[in-house]
Amino acid sequence: MTLTREAPPAVPEAPALPKTRRGDGWANTIMVAPATVLYTVMLIVPVGLALYLSLTDWDGFSADPAFVGAANYLDLLDDPELRRAALVTLLVAAAGTAGLNLLGLGFALLVNGASKANTFFRIVLFYPHVLSALVVGFLWSAILGTNGAVNNLVTKWGGEVLPFLSDPAWATVTMIGVLVWAGFGVNVVLYLAGLQAVPHSLIEAARIDGATRWQVFRNVTLPALGPSVTVNIVLSLVTLLKTYDLVVSLTAGGPAGQTQTVAYLILWNSFHDARLGFGSAQSVLLMLVTAALAFVVTRLRRRGELAVHQ
Amino acid sequence: MRKTFLWATVAFMLIPLYVLTVNAFKGQQDILADPFGLGGLTLEPLGRALTNPQFNVVKGYAVTLLFVVAVNVLSVVLAAPAAYVIARSPKRRFRVLMLFFLAGTFIPGQVLVIPVVYVLKTLGLMGTIRGFVLFETVLTLPFSIFLYAGYIATIPAVLDQAAAVDGASRLRTFWQIVFPLMRPAVATMVILNTFSVWNDFVNPQIILGPGSGLYTVTTGVYAAVSQYSTDYTVVFPTLLLAIAPLLVFFVFMQRHIISGLTAGATKG
Repeated sequence: MTLTREAPPAVPEAPALPKTRRGDGWANTIMVAPATVLYTVMLIVPVGLALYLSLTDWDGFSADPAFVGAANYLDLLDDPELRRAALVTLLVAAAGTAGLNLLGLGFALLVNGASKANTFFRIVLFYPHVLSALVVGFLWSAILGTNGAVNNLVTKWGGEVLPFLSDPAWATVTMIGVLVWAGFGVNVVLYLAGLQAVPHSLIEAARIDGATRWQVFRNVTLPALGPSVTVNIVLSLVTLLKTYDLVVSLTAGGPAGQTQTVAYLILWNSFHDARLGFGSAQSVLLMLVTAALAFVVTRLRRRGELAVHQ
Repeated sequence: MRKTFLWATVAFMLIPLYVLTVNAFKGQQDILADPFGLGGLTLEPLGRALTNPQFNVVKGYAVTLLFVVAVNVLSVVLAAPAAYVIARSPKRRFRVLMLFFLAGTFIPGQVLVIPVVYVLKTLGLMGTIRGFVLFETVLTLPFSIFLYAGYIATIPAVLDQAAAVDGASRLRTFWQIVFPLMRPAVATMVILNTFSVWNDFVNPQIILGPGSGLYTVTTGVYAAVSQYSTDYTVVFPTLLLAIAPLLVFFVFMQRHIISGLTAGATKG
């Protein structure tokens, strides 16, 4: 996300007016302290604690978790469940990111421009995003399940039941499909914001020079959208890597645990199996992988953006 | 061609909502016989969902609304003044503070929920409404402060200085002069926070837990639907009741949501 960039520049100091007065320092402290303290206690301290707990065997109840060193991390290395969940998560993140961004950019180009119809299209494309992922999953499982709406029609017309959610491979694809259905509206909106920054004169000039629609898109629009593409890819990746709610409601991790994501496994191990130390180690791993992927994508994209500008 | 394609997409996007709505008013036989048809509409399943002992929908709305209001109020009261100092003060330490808050936007909520249980237990807040509201509020702070600080930077500093010359204290200057001008940014943030608190599932499920007897809309839907996932006369009306208020809110607020998201993405 662009959030990594520096804070907005401070407003230039106005001359001749009193900049600081006695008491302003105190006022500043009073204004930032509550937010800072609460944020530190409930967000920064927990991140540190996750690191510490990952080195213990905490079960969630005992007051004094025993220190077990790197044992949890060593367990992670040869945990077949985690290996499978990691694969599923990476597949969901990669295919989902591709889907969200191709559809996001494609539809942004289709509904660009101010008109009543376009506003309506944007709202319809965006609305699933405001529903909770939990509800979206239950809804699609009622539509695609073995006794669901679609299979009812299929069997009524003499077809075989389609295993949307009951076959491991199908279930993974269905999950990716639902994630894309529910999420690409956000990417449409973000790409629309990016499209506003594409210089209109450049597009017109290219058109006058006889460029085709595709040439204009490839050589003018897409390069100008560079930063938007980066934001969208990183945002999609970071969001998809922590897919949890939808797994709970769409497949409940099934069939036979084949659609469990890492986030699902973390909470399952932590709270169902009361292995919060082990779950913390998985959390630390997920946090590191997410940060590393976001960093790599940003770096690669920046190189790409620079290459385009040269 | 383009229009036809877009209308086909609209149909595809809305079909699940249509299936949800019509089947919320049908008996199990009619749902199974013709899930897309309009035969045999009845209010009976919706009535039963409203009085479901597994999940008291009305209480779920009330609890969730309470959380939404509490988190929004706390978030504004904490984030706005902090963002003001960060945006207005040229001091280095406040710029560092901004980066400190920004770091929070990168930490996935699921990573936090395990160690937060530990912190809340230590503070004696685990399983309490206070603990849950405080944690949800903290989750809103990084992005709120980012958005507010960006917005305050567009408000002329001359206004604050004039107030200062007139003898207003810094706190008063902020709350009486600057804060009222921040209305659009606050509106965007309140709407976004409302959706994230309303839709949150992991945090209420774990921090409030089934033991507290407090169900939000999402944890209530989970309790009601996951056990009766094949009884569609429970599933469809419950889901409809869970999303109806949110969809109405969305239709009225969509302009602010979409412009707010856009602003958040392009600034910085």
